[in-house]
Amino acid sequence: MQTFVTEPLDWPATAPELRNQVRTLVAEHGNADPVARANSWAKPDPEFSRKLGAAGLIGMIWPKEFGGHERSPLERYVVLEELLAAGAPVGAHWIADRQTGSLLLRYGSEEEKRRWVPGMARGEVYACIGLSEPNSGSDLASVRTSARRDGDDWIVSGQKVWTTNAHNAHVMIALVRSEAGSERNQGLSQFVIPMDAPGLTVNPIIDLAGGHDFNEVFLEDVRLPSTALLGTEGNGWKQVTAELSLERSGPERYLSSMALLVELIRFAGDKDSESLRALVARLAAETWTLRLMSASVASKIARGEDPALEATIVKDLGNSFEQAMPELVQAAVDIDPAGPEALGLVLGHLLQTSPSFSLRGGTREILKGIIARGLGLR
Amino acid sequence: MNDEQRMLADMAGDLFTNLGPDAAMKDHWSAIEEVALTGLLLPEDKGGFGGSWGDALIAFRLAGYHALGLPVVEAVVAAALTQRPEGRGTIASRTEGTVSGVTFTGRISGACLASGADYIVAPCPEGGSMVLSVADAKVEAHENLAGEARDGLVCTGTSVERIEADVFAFGALARVAQIAGALDAALEKAVNYANERQQFGRPLAKFQAVQQNLATFACEAAAANCAAMGAAQAMSRGEAPFEIAAAKLRANRAVGIGTALAHQVHGAIGFTEEYPLHPLTRRLWAWRSEFGNDSVWAEKLGQTIVARGAENFWADLTALTG
Ligand SMILES: Cc1cc2nc3c(=O)[nH]c(=O)nc-3n(C[C@H](O)[C@H](O)[C@H](O)COP(=O)(O)OP(=O)(O)OC[C@H]3O[C@@H](n4cnc5c(N)ncnc54)[C@H](O)[C@@H]3O)c2cc1C
Repeated sequence: MQTFVTEPLDWPATAPELRNQVRTLVAEHGNADPVARANSWAKPDPEFSRKLGAAGLIGMIWPKEFGGHERSPLERYVVLEELLAAGAPVGAHWIADRQTGSLLLRYGSEEEKRRWVPGMARGEVYACIGLSEPNSGSDLASVRTSARRDGDDWIVSGQKVWTTNAHNAHVMIALVRSEAGSERNQGLSQFVIPMDAPGLTVNPIIDLAGGHDFNEVFLEDVRLPSTALLGTEGNGWKQVTAELSLERSGPERYLSSMALLVELIRFAGDKDSESLRALVARLAAETWTLRLMSASVASKIARGEDPALEATIVKDLGNSFEQAMPELVQAAVDIDPAGPEALGLVLGHLLQTSPSFSLRGGTREILKGIIARGLGLR
Repeated sequence: MNDEQRMLADMAGDLFTNLGPDAAMKDHWSAIEEVALTGLLLPEDKGGFGGSWGDALIAFRLAGYHALGLPVVEAVVAAALTQRPEGRGTIASRTEGTVSGVTFTGRISGACLASGADYIVAPCPEGGSMVLSVADAKVEAHENLAGEARDGLVCTGTSVERIEADVFAFGALARVAQIAGALDAALEKAVNYANERQQFGRPLAKFQAVQQNLATFACEAAAANCAAMGAAQAMSRGEAPFEIAAAKLRANRAVGIGTALAHQVHGAIGFTEEYPLHPLTRRLWAWRSEFGNDSVWAEKLGQTIVARGAENFWADLTALTG
């Protein structure tokens, strides 16, 4: 048995140049607040997104015809890991670049592609993910939001919840029951829904740390043209599974908390402490390993494979690592997690936000269930 | 894997399956010599395979996977470090004593089956390594937790040849590869057992708690395997101090979680001498200490990272790969 077949990694020859480009861009934009750095892909900053778009660093793998840059998936991977490691504020466009744009390009009608994708590549059009509902969390196949035909149009009604970025987004791709009376993963379809459509309202949900990242989205008889149906009617479950692969496989699943490790190294530099050095080493070893695992998933995707199991393993390990880190740092360093020192502030922020890491994008239990299936246990 | 590597994997896999944990030097070493496996890393003009560290990883991982009872891994490393095609070499993890000129007086320990070996590569107290003839020292037999020979050598004015390479790091790299293999083997045993053993009228594998434990185990085995691959790939640069330290730390961590879950899933049967789980798990516990436990590698790695400073951490990490 070999659970995770690793091949030697071939990094693109352009990697050093891309790294420099991103590092310069982030430095010029300014990124001094350590708490913001620990919140990278949840922090919207449209100005920064536009700069990235102008630099050709969004939609890197999309066709030029739609504003993309036709770079390789590994070149894109290099840019992503640089942005995350620097804690750059990429929240506004993150979802559009990671999944919505690619999904539109793969399944969308010509009209919808032209309408949304070029703006996404410019870093001006943002997206959100309409999967969860009040009664459908892990059990996603139980969604009840519905779409019914009305002439050529579709009428969508229901409610989505925990919708990250809905308050900044221009468009949502939602999983909806398009066949009345259908059950489970049958009769589901995906729809492209403009956030300014009449009948759609967004209400903020404030998280436990006072932040506003996610929302509830109400859909009251939202009328959509036939082109808003994404892909094939009734094929929603299959499409959403592919979408979740994109959502789960990226380096953000282990690189959300780099700011804490960096501040810990800074702190350890002023102390002559063997235990702090040992903690730094342990966390660095974990980071080094996860980086190889994550890059290996990226290179499999680049070769056209679907490493769904490996991606799930990396997300689960990454989440566990990022959740263990604040506790380990709190135990090792006598510092007030309410600040004012940078290490304390980052620690305090991550102590409060890290419980969500093993919820968003699929819970730990659901991921382990997928891994167990991969092992032939279910 | 390329075609040659697939051939190597098939050859070593078949050989190690037959030999297993109970292989004995006097009966079975000839099987290793027949295929000249100890020359895996020697250049072809010295009669070796001209293999890379990527090739070594394949063989070492399989040695761990099959809990091989012969010191093949150590012989490969010793031959590579000394470039000696003749005789059986081995390696040791620890040295106490002094070198003056070309002689050593003191004690070497953790020598992987020194008796019967022709030469041994041990850490040199002044840095690098030293090579000596086993016949020039007094061997004191000792075994690790798993019953593998880890002898002591008493040396009095024994002549040594000094080499630059750090056998301690190479030994750690080898153990990481073996740990990766042994964890995958223990995982496979646990998965098979969970599918076969019935309780409450169904296989253990149907219980979600068991599934989740095995999924956790699979993640750890995956991490150890990736760490081994990363360190082996880095060796193409000639040395890889960061990667070897990080890989040993990560693999050691996987040992704790993996062995605990392997035994938990197996219940009491896994705790018996008869059942073939312990050749894997006892080796894993022993290997976690050998060639540097966590504290040894954490201090080395932690010192380097902290000395380089916070602002260099990510840049250094990416510079390792490109
Ligand atoms: C920060 C954040 C951002 C999010 N952003 C989005 C977003 O943008 N779009 C979106 O659609 N959703 C989003 N979500 C929602 C997320 O996908 C759900 O929280 C997740 O799928 C779990 O659903 P739930 O919260 O309803 O929990 P539940 O499904 O009710 O689960 C509660 C607990 O029970 C466990 N559980 C459930 N079923 C099983 C089972 N069969 N076996 C074992 N254990 C089980 C779960 O693992 C969990 O621990 C976000 C969530 C968070 C926290």
